[in-house]
Amino acid sequence: MIEDIQFSSFGEFLDMGGYALNVWGVYAIFGFFVAVNLLGPLRRRKKILRELRRRSKLESTES
Amino acid sequence: MLFMSVGAVWALLFLPPDYQQSFTTRILVIHVAVAGTSLAFFPLMAVAGTITLVWKMKLADMVAKNAAPLGAWFSFVTLATGSLWGSVMWGTWWEWTDARLVSMLFQFFLLLSVIALRSAIEDSEKAAKACALLSIVGCINTVIIKYSVEWWNVLHQPSSPINMSNDSANGPEFWLATGVMIVAVYLFLTVSLILTTRNEILQRERRSQWVKDIVS
Repeated sequence: MIEDIQFSSFGEFLDMGGYALNVWGVYAIFGFFVAVNLLGPLRRRKKILRELRRRSKLESTES
Repeated sequence: MLFMSVGAVWALLFLPPDYQQSFTTRILVIHVAVAGTSLAFFPLMAVAGTITLVWKMKLADMVAKNAAPLGAWFSFVTLATGSLWGSVMWGTWWEWTDARLVSMLFQFFLLLSVIALRSAIEDSEKAAKACALLSIVGCINTVIIKYSVEWWNVLHQPSSPINMSNDSANGPEFWLATGVMIVAVYLFLTVSLILTTRNEILQRERRSQWVKDIVS
């Protein structure tokens, strides 16, 4: 399969035939979009649990 | 586990880019997958909305609520990646005369409206109902997006029939790569929606025992 790679050098791979901005731009946007929507909810979950923990401690110290 | 299947499918995607003939086809693999999946949002929200209206299932509404922002992201990425494709293929970043572009932009604004509508209505039950209705109506636009390339004379290319022969403009490797990508994107949609809805459940049910057990 390695023989089928269309690029003869890594430099060519980055360059994308002159369309580097367009192709890598698309992948960058896509990568960012996926990362935000997967990592975002995960971080938010941690934040929610931390908040809830904090509140339950407050409540238990009050009573 | 879901993460790993998503990851594996994506890792596969980086093999196909090696096979393609044209550099810009690589844009298409992403754009087609995201664009196609973005059409699923209004139908999804409409179904969830209908379940909310008819059976009053809270979970359906929570899914609908979290689907809206994700859908907005999808629509935006569709437009952005499409624009980067268009600038190469058609020499333009945008075309107001193209029905597909405009209706997708409209979908983006509609999704933002659903989000706004929900926060604008104080009563959460009324908000859920209003959003459900808007989602159902929004499906009309989805139909327009889909058929826009057939009904009108537009710049955006019509859907190509899946052609497995080697002499078609987009060879079988393209369809394989795109197919893999579509699966990956759908998995990503599912995972993301599950994660956000899970957070929603945690917040709404914070008074219940099972949440308290998780917290402590």
